[in-house]
Amino acid sequence: MTWLRAVLARFAGMFQRTHREEELAAELESHVRMHTEDNERAGMSHEAARRDALMKLGGVEQSKEIYRDRRGLPWLETLLQDLRFGARMLRKNPGFTAVAVLTLALGIGANTAIFSLVNGILLRPLPFSQPGNLVSVTGTYPKGAFVAMREQTQSLDVATYFEGHEFNLTGRGEPVHLTGTLVSAELFMILGARTELGRPFYPGDDKVGQDNYVILRHALWEQQFGGDPAIIGKSIALEGTSREVIGVMPADFRFPSAKTQMWIPLHNDSRDTIAYWAGDFMPIIGRLRPGTSMAQARAEVRLFQQRAFQLFPWPMPVSWNADISVVPLQQDMVADVRTRLLLLLGAVSLILLIACVNVANLTLSRAATREKEIAVRTAMGADRRRIVRQLLTESVLVALIGGMFGVLLATQGLRLLKAALPADTPRLADAQIDLSVLAFTGGLAVLTGVLFGLAPALHASRAALADALTSSRGAVGNVSHRLRSGLAIAEISFAVLLVVAAGLLIRSFWALSRVDPGFRTGQILTARVTPNQAFCDDPLRCISFYRELLARMQGVPGVALAACVNTLPLGGRVAKRALDIENQPVNPGENGPLFWMNVVTPEYFGVMNIPVAAGRAFTSADATGDSAVAIVSAATARRFWGSQNAVGSHVRLSSDQEWRTVVGIVPDVRAYDLQKEVPDWLNGTIYVPYNAKGTLEGGRIPSDMSVIVQSSLDPAQVSAALRRVIAGLNPEVPASEIKPMSVVVSESTSTPASTTMLFVAFAALAVVLGVVGIYGVLAFLVSTRIREIGVRLAIGAQPRDVFWMVMKDGARFSLIGILFGLASALALTRLLAGQLYGVSPFDPLTFGAAAAVMGIATLLACYVPTRRAARVDPMVALRYE
Amino acid sequence: MGDKADVWQGTLALMILKTLESMGALHGYGIARRIEQISGDVLSVNYGTLYPALLKLEQEGYIASEWGVSDNNRKARFYKLTRAGRKQVQRETQEWEQTQAILAKFLAPREQES
Repeated sequence: MTWLRAVLARFAGMFQRTHREEELAAELESHVRMHTEDNERAGMSHEAARRDALMKLGGVEQSKEIYRDRRGLPWLETLLQDLRFGARMLRKNPGFTAVAVLTLALGIGANTAIFSLVNGILLRPLPFSQPGNLVSVTGTYPKGAFVAMREQTQSLDVATYFEGHEFNLTGRGEPVHLTGTLVSAELFMILGARTELGRPFYPGDDKVGQDNYVILRHALWEQQFGGDPAIIGKSIALEGTSREVIGVMPADFRFPSAKTQMWIPLHNDSRDTIAYWAGDFMPIIGRLRPGTSMAQARAEVRLFQQRAFQLFPWPMPVSWNADISVVPLQQDMVADVRTRLLLLLGAVSLILLIACVNVANLTLSRAATREKEIAVRTAMGADRRRIVRQLLTESVLVALIGGMFGVLLATQGLRLLKAALPADTPRLADAQIDLSVLAFTGGLAVLTGVLFGLAPALHASRAALADALTSSRGAVGNVSHRLRSGLAIAEISFAVLLVVAAGLLIRSFWALSRVDPGFRTGQILTARVTPNQAFCDDPLRCISFYRELLARMQGVPGVALAACVNTLPLGGRVAKRALDIENQPVNPGENGPLFWMNVVTPEYFGVMNIPVAAGRAFTSADATGDSAVAIVSAATARRFWGSQNAVGSHVRLSSDQEWRTVVGIVPDVRAYDLQKEVPDWLNGTIYVPYNAKGTLEGGRIPSDMSVIVQSSLDPAQVSAALRRVIAGLNPEVPASEIKPMSVVVSESTSTPASTTMLFVAFAALAVVLGVVGIYGVLAFLVSTRIREIGVRLAIGAQPRDVFWMVMKDGARFSLIGILFGLASALALTRLLAGQLYGVSPFDPLTFGAAAAVMGIATLLACYVPTRRAARVDPMVALRYE
Repeated sequence: MGDKADVWQGTLALMILKTLESMGALHGYGIARRIEQISGDVLSVNYGTLYPALLKLEQEGYIASEWGVSDNNRKARFYKLTRAGRKQVQRETQEWEQTQAILAKFLAPREQES
């Protein structure tokens, strides 16, 4: 540790300078005296003796200089000196400092905000113990197959879950509709999650008959149970079933997502064959056992997958989980947002580049005015490296100050970002400005400072000494002009790139918002009305509840019509059902095609304004009786019946005995999202009336219907009326997700909306910075050419000629910049292709518009300095320095 | 240039330590004269380079210094070995001898050949 001791000693050597100098002087003086005396004793004259002593010493001042270098830490001293000097220079140029700091703060702030998202969502390990061992099995399995996997796999412990089950919490005042996640008993142990209160589920807690437990999330515990710690061990009524609360999870435990309010053991009842083998197909997570690798787990799961087919009581399609794999859990959880986040990161780094270029240009302009100062320093003996170092220290200082303001901006920006991004973005709550983000920002600021400072510093230090000292301001070198123009062109092209990207997203979003979903979106209020499932054990009780509800709603003055549907279009829920189609047999052992099954009351098509294209709609007789009828969508009719008329043909819900008659065809509606009628894994859409035969998979009729009410009244009034009606009918039934249909539609586009909004904001920022940049460059060019312009005017040029001369310069930068920008856009917009709807990534209209926007903006920026040039007074100009 | 200086600094440090080991506390001028004496006229170096070397040794903790009065009643700064310095002398002496022995082996055959 000798060196450490030495460094500390040298660090200390930087202080108490006066005292140390005095000591050194005294020591050298005593050395010279002693030497002189010795020499005198040897017979020299006093002068000769002293001269000899000094010569042998090598000069007092020279010796002191070498000594000082050893005493302190010269590089640190230089750095502090440079920093002090830099700070003084910045204080002396408040205009430059303010613009540079603000520009950099914007660039660095935007990057910090986006990086904190990237860090929180993509980079930071999941907040579970030993997250590196957590994996996700990419397939989905029904309970039966999961239980088999749990028993058989050696390389990993597995757990499964299913989010989005809904439960009514009753018996505590107004009923509440809650979202819970069904989990296998091992889930909490595999994640290594600790409860805040009570205990987690242990293996065995999902045994049939001993699984009436529930674990609450912190927020639910606070809201519904007042944070009462005595809740542990008490029972609460969920869906009419009494469940014992055994634990409370801390607020930061969000698995599988922030939507989940409680966890309930999976009901693994193998006697219920349908639910056990054909119920929810659930994702599986696992933890690698010690000493096993991802590859081993993958191989084992693939082997299991082959055996799994034989376990089912019926043949499974060969395509089921065909591409099964095991991947890190984190990768699987954030796969969807990854691309979008990286695109945003790309966009903000372009902004930072533009900011850098801007400040580099500013610095160059300032360096021109500092040429003399630098020349004097050189003349005094500063070498080039020393000057570059000092200028770089200054620019890094500017960047660090910009970075500090940037962090302030980023804390606000992150709040906005979190509000702008869809609420279901995974791990959104994990994103925050923490130490690693700050480290990133610090590094970025230093890098930025070097990036924008290097070119000007090298340039300034190269300035020829004699030239600078003798010449007047007119003689700024060609190199400077070229560098400056290059920088202006670069920032224009970056801005064009961002404008093109934003333009494409706007076009795409516009196309999306103009999509006719195929149903009425105005003057409709929707609400989920969800009696307990047990309430619908008797289908007729359930059906008459909804029928009575609709009847009373239609009696409310101002309400035109009301209907029910199990899955609201664009509502985010899908109900799938396999169908047999008459005369279209499937291969033995395979299921029939999967359909999206809509169970509706007869008024549905009327409320939604979906006309009947052929045949007839449902009648009230279809709803009250048990007539076996169906309506299909136009695309479905084309696909399965082609040119034949689908009306009159027959279909059968799998597991039903009776065939249904297709009585009508309705146009397609965009039910899955605004781009698609049904998701890719479904083959068509079928509507059946809500009667005792309208069963879902599992053989029950839906008990969680959406009520849709068509009314010209204010939504708040309708919703109040709805609550009143429900309370009058059955106070145990909650109504939730009450919102106008138009909101349901706009929520379905929240992802593209947020991406578009962010890109537009970034592009606007880029244009502003780019415009400021080209304005600065042109203003500087004009100021260096004032004398030339004066001469021109003096010998007869018209102001108009001068105007066009300067304007041409500006137009040239702008044109070249735009062309480069369009070329890079051609190369890069394909990265956006996945985010675009209804517009090609090479859309000529967008490219043209971006070029026009940027062209007009830059020409406007050129106008001010150009006018100034044209108004130059020749007399003033010629006297100018 | 830098390399030569390093070598010189290294050997100079050992010479200083060795001098202080044999002479006890001594001021800078005394050390310089002593080194010159022992080396004869072969070494002629600026005495000025001695002081940074002393400073370095002090920073490293091998020597300590205090002000005192010289034989002819002059105020001078005296340097003396610390305990770490004594160990360092032994260590460096050993290393130096080793290096010397190795180098001697390299040099010896050539001399015979020529």
